[in-house]
Amino acid sequence: MTDASASLARQQLAAYNRDPSMVLQMLRNLQMEQNWITDSDIRILADGLNTPQTKVRALIDFYSFLHNEPRGRYDIYFSDSITDHMLGSRESAKLLCDLLGVELGVPRADGTVTVSLTSCTGLCERGPAVLVNGTAIDRVDEERAREIAKLVKAAVPLDEWPLEWFFITDPLRKTGPLLDQSPSLGAAIERAIELGSDGVIAALEKAGLRGCGGAGFATHRKWDICRSANADRRYVICNADEGEPGTFKDRVLLNKYTDAVIEGMTVCGITIGATKGFIYLRHEYEFLRTQVQRRLERRRATNLLGKHILGHHGINFDIEIYMGAGSYVCGEESALIESLEGKRGIPRIRPPFPVTHGYRGRPTVVNNVETLCYAAGIVEHGEEFFAHPGEEPGWKILSISGDCRAPGIYEIPLGTTIEEICKMCGAENTRAIQVGGPGGVLITPEEFDCKLSFDGANSAGSFMIFNESRNMVDVAVNFTHFFAHESCGFCTPCRVGTKLLVQLADKIANGHGARMDIAQMERLHGLMTQASHCGLGQRAAVPLLTNFEKCPPCFAERMSDKEYTPAFDVEAAIERSRQIVEEEGRPR
Amino acid sequence: MTGRIKIDGQSIPFAEGQTVIEAATDAGVFIPHLCYHPDYEANGSCKMCTCKIDGRQVSSCTTKAADGQVIESNTEELNSERRALTQMLFVEGNHHCPSCEHSGNCALQNAAYKLNMTALTFPNFSVGRATDASHPELMINRDRCIYCELCVRASRDTDGKDIFCISGRAQNKSLAINSDSGLLKDSGITPDDAAANVCPVGCIIKKREGFIKPIGKRAFDERTVHHNKVTQATVPELYKKAGEKVTVATCSLAGCFGCHMSFLDIDERIVELVEHVEFDRSPINDIKICSEEVDVGLIEGGVCNTENIETLREFRKSCKIIVAVGACAIGGGVPALRNNVDVRELLEESYVNAVGVENPQIPTDKELPHILEKVSPIHEVVKVDFFLPGCPPPADAFWQILNDIVAGRQPDLPYDLMQFD
Repeated sequence: MTDASASLARQQLAAYNRDPSMVLQMLRNLQMEQNWITDSDIRILADGLNTPQTKVRALIDFYSFLHNEPRGRYDIYFSDSITDHMLGSRESAKLLCDLLGVELGVPRADGTVTVSLTSCTGLCERGPAVLVNGTAIDRVDEERAREIAKLVKAAVPLDEWPLEWFFITDPLRKTGPLLDQSPSLGAAIERAIELGSDGVIAALEKAGLRGCGGAGFATHRKWDICRSANADRRYVICNADEGEPGTFKDRVLLNKYTDAVIEGMTVCGITIGATKGFIYLRHEYEFLRTQVQRRLERRRATNLLGKHILGHHGINFDIEIYMGAGSYVCGEESALIESLEGKRGIPRIRPPFPVTHGYRGRPTVVNNVETLCYAAGIVEHGEEFFAHPGEEPGWKILSISGDCRAPGIYEIPLGTTIEEICKMCGAENTRAIQVGGPGGVLITPEEFDCKLSFDGANSAGSFMIFNESRNMVDVAVNFTHFFAHESCGFCTPCRVGTKLLVQLADKIANGHGARMDIAQMERLHGLMTQASHCGLGQRAAVPLLTNFEKCPPCFAERMSDKEYTPAFDVEAAIERSRQIVEEEGRPR
Repeated sequence: MTGRIKIDGQSIPFAEGQTVIEAATDAGVFIPHLCYHPDYEANGSCKMCTCKIDGRQVSSCTTKAADGQVIESNTEELNSERRALTQMLFVEGNHHCPSCEHSGNCALQNAAYKLNMTALTFPNFSVGRATDASHPELMINRDRCIYCELCVRASRDTDGKDIFCISGRAQNKSLAINSDSGLLKDSGITPDDAAANVCPVGCIIKKREGFIKPIGKRAFDERTVHHNKVTQATVPELYKKAGEKVTVATCSLAGCFGCHMSFLDIDERIVELVEHVEFDRSPINDIKICSEEVDVGLIEGGVCNTENIETLREFRKSCKIIVAVGACAIGGGVPALRNNVDVRELLEESYVNAVGVENPQIPTDKELPHILEKVSPIHEVVKVDFFLPGCPPPADAFWQILNDIVAGRQPDLPYDLMQFD
């Protein structure tokens, strides 16, 4: 072990005051700095935090972007989401691997480079997306992959790579009340203080704002329960762990509407009586961190954050950014809180819910980025802000990707039909649309008259369009692998069930699927829905089953018409023996 | 809060702060479980104790009892889910009872008995996780870990040593040991620690104690719980004319013929059997090929090579009913212990490096079958209708299933004939 590494680990301990709940941040910093976390780092952190080494290792093994073995000096991840596939990510990844002489996921022997796959990185409208040493690059087609290979071979430092590759723009396609507004610098805070806590909650209730992360829980109720819970301290957490494949609206909000997010958090803090907030930012959004950090500092400097905000005595609130390290489950609020406390991101046993027993056991509001932005708007401008002439009140920001002319961000009134949305974004010859990410719903053209709403076609904002050239088996297979990769493994039905589903999905994709496999999926679905610990396991069989149900021709194309086929590929299983016998049989 | 809850129609009291499973246990109502242990804080991960409480399925070990709750536990719906969870745990690890030191004392095996699990129905994962035999008195066979976290809790809460920890996620989870070397010998654990004694399966075991208690004297050999009747499948109509016998073929794939030996243990009953049954292809009469139409095929052994596959397919083609007989046919059994050894190493171990081999070479004769990368249960290669567990299944079990099939009844294995080892 080098002394430099040891001192870096010690620096981390000092920088975070040996706070065990910050261990994930320390590990992530070491990973970013050195491309891996050494055994000596683990020992130093464990000693310094007075915790068993196993607990430090357990974090490294749990979070996708932490490693206990050296990664390449260029650590490259291709986003492995279906929309990236559709834009050619697998071809680009294969080309890059070939050009660099590496195997996917295996660091090159000389330590130069690693090329791997990772779950959706949130650049769905501009894929194929990659992360290089934590920094996002978009549109990595084969040409760009060739250029990357050249730069890596020539050992050009990352900050000398073409600047335009890193310039992630905000593709606003249709704006509404939120996306049209100019940055709110304290107006919502002033108004919140004026209205008082009851007034704020009444305004949110009148507006009918509900959580935009997917679950759709009434925001005013969440805030109300939290402020009423008996406790000495409360917390506000902004859930910026936007891991749902196909979603990138929070990325845009955090980049372009940073002040609205912070304003929303501050309003929430003032309303519920919290003095501390966290932005839990997903690892993949490292490129947004500086921007958010700068805004926080500016707001501190102008007394929009900190003590006695805007001169109001006793109104104190500040925000800290906390970085994730690669885990989809952490988007679930109780898993997010576990992660924030420096643990593995495993959903807690609920009840009790975070709103009464959250961060460090205290009442905590966890709200999605978009929810907080709307809350700020509603408090500042009144409930009319969220209103529109349509039947169902409220707005929703959609992240549209896949087969359409204009992928990007759309702010749309609730009640809009899927058909209208398709027209807006120029989707033609559509076979199906996945709304709400892999665990959401699949909508086929017969159902295009259904409306975007919190209770019907609700979504975390993910809207992935597939045209008739796409086989929906591929989509289901990609989603099924995603769930198996992201399962936290805590409960039996999800841990084992997601793996069994992957086996069935691959069997179908390879042309060996039989009717009994569909029956097996149904059986697994029944069990996993009823017995899984959280939504991931409960929804993991849905893509395979609904795609089969709604797009039977895609499956008919791939499956055998047999009742039964073997669980494994018999020919492949004897290949190894065949090779050995052939080698041995050759004259020497 | 105290009060009463109703489980499967029975009203029972609960004390302040009790969970549903605690109240049930106090009242003598058994709810199946693996990760729950009365001495430790509930974990809620195995999901075996899932009950329907006021219409919603939740873990009974993490749900507090509340006055007036109506709970379903011992229903076919819930037991069938629990059976599937047990099957999941069996295929996820290498749970080959006949070769496990903990057999007869294993909570997972006992759950399988109680839930009348005769078959795995899922493909085996054939994992190959690291074994730790470094400690002079204890060892860890991680292939058998079910992630119940009881050792984690026992070491932390009772022993105050915090030796164990669950690392990783999804299928990369593993039981990690807190010591500089990562090995058990440097962890400070002793055989008297609660953590060394709490493992419900054969993962953390004591050296020199394996198989110490004879069959019949082990913890779960006594079968006191009544039999849960489970329908395996429907027996197809065999369309026999008066006086026509049911034809039966038998064979052994990657097995030891022990199941056949056990079959012959029906002793003089074979005289009665042949009045109703005629043997087709079988080592008993040395007929080598199945007739075109056979009623019942009894298959012993797992699938290890191309010849097994061919035989199995011939049986499936000829036989109306296929019965997987014994631990190897049902789960791969002892032959499947080779599943994490590379094929070349296997061949070299047998034909090159083995003691007493003359003219060492890997045979290349085309007549010889190729071996498969892994030994599989037969249900992974052909559709199987019925399963007869045991190593071997007792003679009475053969007698029972054949009588049931001949009579056109649903085969129903009595609880005392369910034995995996």
